[in-house]
Amino acid sequence: MEYRPLRERVRERPRPFLLWLLGAFVLVGIELGRIASGLVEIGDATAAALETVSGGISDALAVGGATAVAVWLGIGVTLALVGLAIATWTRATLVLRVTESIPLRPQQSLDGLVFGLALGVGGWFALQVGAVDVLARLASSVRFPLGWLGELPTLTSRETIPNQGYQTPDGTWHGTFLGLSPALAWTLRVLVVHLYVAAWLIWLWTGYLWYRNYYRQADWTPRDDVIQRLRYHRWGQFGMVVVLLFLTMAAFAPSLGTTTAEQNIYAPFSHTIEYYDEELGEVTDILVGNANLNTRSQGYAAENVGPMSYDQYDRFHPFGTLTDGSDLFTFLVHGARVSLIIGLLSVGVSAILGTVFALVSAYYRGLADLVLVVTGDTIMGVPRLLLLILLTVILADTWLASLYDGGVLLALILAATGWPFLWRSFRGPTLQIAEEDWVDAARSYGQSPSGIMRLHMLPYLVGYLLIYSSLVLGGVILAVAGLSFLGLGITAPTPEWGRAVDLGREYVATNSWHISLIPGIMVTLVVMGFNAVGDALRDAVDPQSDAGVANASETESRGGGV
Amino acid sequence: MTEQNDEQDDPLVVVDGLRTYYGSERLLGGEPVKAVDGVSFEIARGETFGIVGESGCGKTTLGRSILRLEDADSGTVEFDGTDLLSLGRRDLKAWRRNAQMVYQNPTSSINERMTVGRIVREPLDIHDWGMPHDRRNRVSELLDRVGLQPEHYHRYPHQFSGGQRQRIGIARALALEPDFIVLDEPVSALDVSVQAKILNLLLDLQDEYDLTYLLIAHDLSVVRHICDRVGVMYLGKLMEVGPTEQLFRSPSNPYTRALLSAIPQPDPDAGADRITLRGTPPSPRNPPTGCVFSTRCPFKIRREEHESLTTEQWDSIEEFRDVLREREKLRTTPLQRVKARLGREPPVTPIEEVVSELFELSTYPESVQETVDQTATLVVEGEFTAARELLEETFSTVCEHERPDQHQVADGQASRCHRHLSEYEEPREFLSE
Repeated sequence: MEYRPLRERVRERPRPFLLWLLGAFVLVGIELGRIASGLVEIGDATAAALETVSGGISDALAVGGATAVAVWLGIGVTLALVGLAIATWTRATLVLRVTESIPLRPQQSLDGLVFGLALGVGGWFALQVGAVDVLARLASSVRFPLGWLGELPTLTSRETIPNQGYQTPDGTWHGTFLGLSPALAWTLRVLVVHLYVAAWLIWLWTGYLWYRNYYRQADWTPRDDVIQRLRYHRWGQFGMVVVLLFLTMAAFAPSLGTTTAEQNIYAPFSHTIEYYDEELGEVTDILVGNANLNTRSQGYAAENVGPMSYDQYDRFHPFGTLTDGSDLFTFLVHGARVSLIIGLLSVGVSAILGTVFALVSAYYRGLADLVLVVTGDTIMGVPRLLLLILLTVILADTWLASLYDGGVLLALILAATGWPFLWRSFRGPTLQIAEEDWVDAARSYGQSPSGIMRLHMLPYLVGYLLIYSSLVLGGVILAVAGLSFLGLGITAPTPEWGRAVDLGREYVATNSWHISLIPGIMVTLVVMGFNAVGDALRDAVDPQSDAGVANASETESRGGGV
Repeated sequence: MTEQNDEQDDPLVVVDGLRTYYGSERLLGGEPVKAVDGVSFEIARGETFGIVGESGCGKTTLGRSILRLEDADSGTVEFDGTDLLSLGRRDLKAWRRNAQMVYQNPTSSINERMTVGRIVREPLDIHDWGMPHDRRNRVSELLDRVGLQPEHYHRYPHQFSGGQRQRIGIARALALEPDFIVLDEPVSALDVSVQAKILNLLLDLQDEYDLTYLLIAHDLSVVRHICDRVGVMYLGKLMEVGPTEQLFRSPSNPYTRALLSAIPQPDPDAGADRITLRGTPPSPRNPPTGCVFSTRCPFKIRREEHESLTTEQWDSIEEFRDVLREREKLRTTPLQRVKARLGREPPVTPIEEVVSELFELSTYPESVQETVDQTATLVVEGEFTAARELLEETFSTVCEHERPDQHQVADGQASRCHRHLSEYEEPREFLSE
């Protein structure tokens, strides 16, 4: 059986692939509007962030002195690193073309510098010529059709299944989907959202199975065993369901909320709602902010809107209201987004740092390892909460803190203080991998250090990477909630679960118990879910730790590496 | 296989005075481990050169040092006229096409996360061998050549047996058409039934591609089966080198004799002259001065006044010296000395008991008996070093004072032993006595 590229295999038997593609198109089409507007949002946010960053950099340069030097240094190092990455990955070389007399490693670094320099000069030139404007215009020309697509109706949007309306004395509902009660309409929408997600999952799984049956040339891969082991891991499956619900919550926050974030959190006094006023005997308008004043949960029966209840303006509150009268559920689904973005960003950054450092320290050992051990242990030696609080306060007035309402700053601080924990967990297994004969064999036929790390060590780390990242993600969500609880980190009004817990602190023992308890339970559940997924991945990736429940402590210690 | 004459003319590999020490870069002193300590030999083109020895004698380190997988401390390795130890990075990478290695353990020498095709292809990719299409064809051809099927390209190593995995490793080593392959115990991890198949495959490949092998093994029958010449290693030193059959039939070095006598004989009567060595090899961190084998050698040269002692009596004396060396070693570190001062030594047999056990069975010449008694007294007084030195003064000979030179004992056979000097009896004669 000859090796043939995937493209050829598909051409030979196009039907399953086309069918799957068709299904995927349908699924995308249903939500095209949301996807397009999501892209626009991400693009806008990126543009804004870039603007802030470039503003911050030019400000720092304008200040002059040590700050400017540090910034120039930072730019230089970044460019050199990017250049080195280009030189390594593409194996392109300029230096070799000029002279053959430079040994391999200096030649590579030199190539990196050359590429970095070219990049810097090119970028500077683009800035001078005004290529940035051209780029911006190009971006806006892409943005326009996307924005137009964003207007398309989608299946899961609140416009398709509206749940806000009012009830007239005859008991009929106006403004809601098919005249259903808001509670039912909302439930229906939540159901549709989850069905849509489920449809995607099923389709992706089907796609994988079809790939396995029709296109994959290997009749077995180690991954098959991993999936097989996950099949019977009930605790892990529970975790996956929780994590999936959390992800859905973050992704579909706008349509899951009973009301919009704008109306509920950011600008309640710019929106009005209609309700049937019994005294006047007619439908009247009221500002959301004013309505909220009458629906606050303040701890006693007269002023409390509990879970699964309507307020006097016929708004349905699945989780009750907050102390300021706004909807807790809407607050929480949007908070999920914040938690997730901070979590992914910080775990992503610290996982990359941890992995690279672990590979470097295991491959080179000696001085490199020693320096990393000392650095890592120093960071780990400082009480993390104290460091977090300190850095959040110190950096609060910089431009970094303005990105994503302090979310980016928080994520970066968490990453900078968190990577040693990941690196420590990776170091043991990586040291073990570096001892294997295949690493030595790769050296014997001339594989480069970066090649050995990438091809012969990293694949064995991926399991640990997934496991520990999912475990740490839970910790990050907890840390962010904890900081918000202390009044630090994410600034109000951006919704954050920890702040909800903080707001309801005084009312835990009263009628308004829901304000603290529900977000608290959700934090616990999500963290538990991520940990369960981590456990399951560990058991699936490392068959030797199959002992599972029978010998938990041994499994623990293996997971800890060495 | 090979002609003796071109061995002299133009050897492929020339190793001269190679030394590889471990742990010498440590900050806080300590003797380095002398894994390979001054080894010299040549390998002719198309030849199979075997290195045998007990585990830990440094034979694997030797192979790895030749391939520059370990950094040698001194000496030279010449490959086809180029000095390997002075190659720069790029030249070294280019040179690596010429020399490959097959590893002992087929489960850990190939990366299990790659398909067989990618494993065999990797060296080709690294050295930019031909076009991608050619590489795929080359891999299929190699798989076929080593006795696997081309459709195994997409299988993972998990799906193969140990022997098949070793074939994958061999295919990978062959990919770049090397001239020289280091076989590091290529069959010792395999079933006996598979061993012969792999060895025959290696022999076939050698004929087909004119390969030169350095075979590292502890299995003497494997060495005898495929090697043209053999080197015997002990404690980082090459004790004897010679053509395989000649060396197996008439070993001249005491250590080779001891090693060969360990081969089980099909005829129970023929195995009667088996030589059993006392104790274990000394630490390579602290090898004996003089001949490295002197602490265990049954052929050791004695002083004239001790010639009359029987073998049993001499063995008792040697064992007594071993005991004292061990006792002294227990007091080498400051902590151990403090413990001894406080009377918290590890429990040892009282010296009187040792003496009576070793020397009571027969009567010794008076001078010997006197020295032993004197030593025992010194030990009781705690003067271990003085006791050891006293015994050394009385019994030590050239074996413990001087490094033996390499002596040409027969055509193409050389051995390191003082007994090859004209003033002493040859080991062969000594044994027949």
